[in-house]
Amino acid sequence: MIVDIVQTLLNGLAAGAAYALLGVGFTMMFGVMRRLNLSYGATLMFGGYLGALLASRAGGALPDAALVLLAAAVTVAGATLAGLYVERLCFAPLRGRSGVAAMVSSFAVWMQIEEFSTWLLPLHTNPYPAPFNVASWQLGALTLRPEHLLTLLVAVLVAILLHRLLRASRFGLAVRTLSDSPAAAQAVGIDAGRTTLLAFLAASTVGGIGAWLVLVADQQVTPMFGMWSMAKGLIAMMLGGLGSIPGAVAGGLLLGVLEASGQALFGPQIRELIAWGALFLVLVLRPGGLFGRAAFDLDIAAHQRL
Amino acid sequence: MLDVKDVVTAYGKIEALKGVSLSVEPGSITCLLGPNGAGKTTLMYTIAGILRPRRGSVRFGGDELVGQSADRVVNRGIALVPENRLVFPQMSVTENLAAGAYLRHDHGEIASDLEKLFARFPALKERRSQPAGTLSGGEQQMLAVARALMSRPKLLMMDEPSMGLAPLVVEEIFRIVGELNRDGITIFMVEQNAHMALKVAHKFFLMEQGKVTFAGAPGEVAQDEVIRRAYLGSAKAT
Ligand SMILES: Nc1ncnc2c1ncn2[C@@H]1O[C@H](COP(=O)(O)OP(=O)(O)OP(=O)(O)O)[C@@H](O)[C@H]1O
Ligand SMILES: [Mg+2]
Repeated sequence: MIVDIVQTLLNGLAAGAAYALLGVGFTMMFGVMRRLNLSYGATLMFGGYLGALLASRAGGALPDAALVLLAAAVTVAGATLAGLYVERLCFAPLRGRSGVAAMVSSFAVWMQIEEFSTWLLPLHTNPYPAPFNVASWQLGALTLRPEHLLTLLVAVLVAILLHRLLRASRFGLAVRTLSDSPAAAQAVGIDAGRTTLLAFLAASTVGGIGAWLVLVADQQVTPMFGMWSMAKGLIAMMLGGLGSIPGAVAGGLLLGVLEASGQALFGPQIRELIAWGALFLVLVLRPGGLFGRAAFDLDIAAHQRL
Repeated sequence: MLDVKDVVTAYGKIEALKGVSLSVEPGSITCLLGPNGAGKTTLMYTIAGILRPRRGSVRFGGDELVGQSADRVVNRGIALVPENRLVFPQMSVTENLAAGAYLRHDHGEIASDLEKLFARFPALKERRSQPAGTLSGGEQQMLAVARALMSRPKLLMMDEPSMGLAPLVVEEIFRIVGELNRDGITIFMVEQNAHMALKVAHKFFLMEQGKVTFAGAPGEVAQDEVIRRAYLGSAKAT
């Protein structure tokens, strides 16, 4: 019984660690822009499709380990590149102007990127190269699955690096001032356009790493991945509180544990229902999220955005 | 030192500045008066390079600032204490000040400037690791001023620094303004509290509906019927 609980918790945390990265990428974009990037999921899907494309074209010619590493690199780079495209196309031209127009244009680009990805690989299900020919380890009655360990390890590493980048670098200072008060950030001489772009790219990279972790665990990518990853990122972000990075980490982990517990108790059909239910509950009871600033705070910040 | 000529700045179709011209003499304290919505803040943001004017020119020590980015303007020696203070609420006091020195690379000097500012604003020193959002209004205003000073400006622009503050704090702010000016910093401030401003400022401008409608020395301000009624009349608060 205890073992079951611990096992469920472990499964939940592993899934949640990937959700956390998806949420962190999403929330970082919101933090610097005060806009939701609706093509976030599509850019991650694009990265995933590039990895799968690599496997389908060059899979046979490469040793397994090389293919896995190359797919990881291609996926993360693809997500970042697609992020660059979205930022330049949808957000940079409208910075300081209509937030709604920027979000709607990012919705249009979502469709565009998704169409392009499925044009690259028209099949519904595409195998994604994964490093797990390894069997699971048994630790007493606990099963340690290699993809879970990989996810936890990578997510912790990314979180530490990101924390250092934001807390201890000049770029991090610029990003935080911009999230806190865009007008004042510009008044002290921070280049808002350049900082936003770089933060957007960093966020796309973090999201891309999160997406890769999910894809190697699933060993496949489908056209649903864009929608799916955006939903997970959105829920993780909102549970933790819009714009808060530690919040998104906590939100992602919580989401993972809730889903795993729900699945253990009521079966797999209930998984998604629990996630959305938790989101609504938090939004109604604590609209600012569990750890974030209150929503009206953010509205004020949005009005001050120049 | 600062020459603004025929500046037009618009939000969409609405022109908030309809051809503003004024100048700030080096070493002076220059005060800009004007009713709500006159365009004072818009002018400050335009000079700071945060808003881009439709036309006109802003010259600072001979350089044209229009078309320059905000960081270039800071580098030239202009710092803005924005309206409503706009400290970085989630960052500590020290981090706020570090952000003020964002464009500087002389780390030793930055550290010594930080100590000097802490000596000038002891309340900030006590709260150095506290998030700026938790400071009182007066402390936040001091922090906004200190943050601007961290860039070592030649011209300090202050947008309604006394807004919403208790009389004692307002006096403290004007005392600091006088001190900074004696240290050689030129001051260009928006201020509704004309009584206080009259004590320190050397030159006044009045802006109404996007235009400068009056310019004069303190003596002339007290003479002007319109200003007297609007700004020096009985019980007119900020
Ligand atoms: N972001 C904005 N978008 C559209 N219009 C704006 C914006 N900011 C200011 N305005 C308009 O421009 C005009 C000038 O505003 P501004 O803030 O410069 O006035 P102000 O003189 O600073 O007023 P106050 O004394 O209230 O601070 C006003 O009519 C205002 O409604
Ligand atoms: Mg104003």
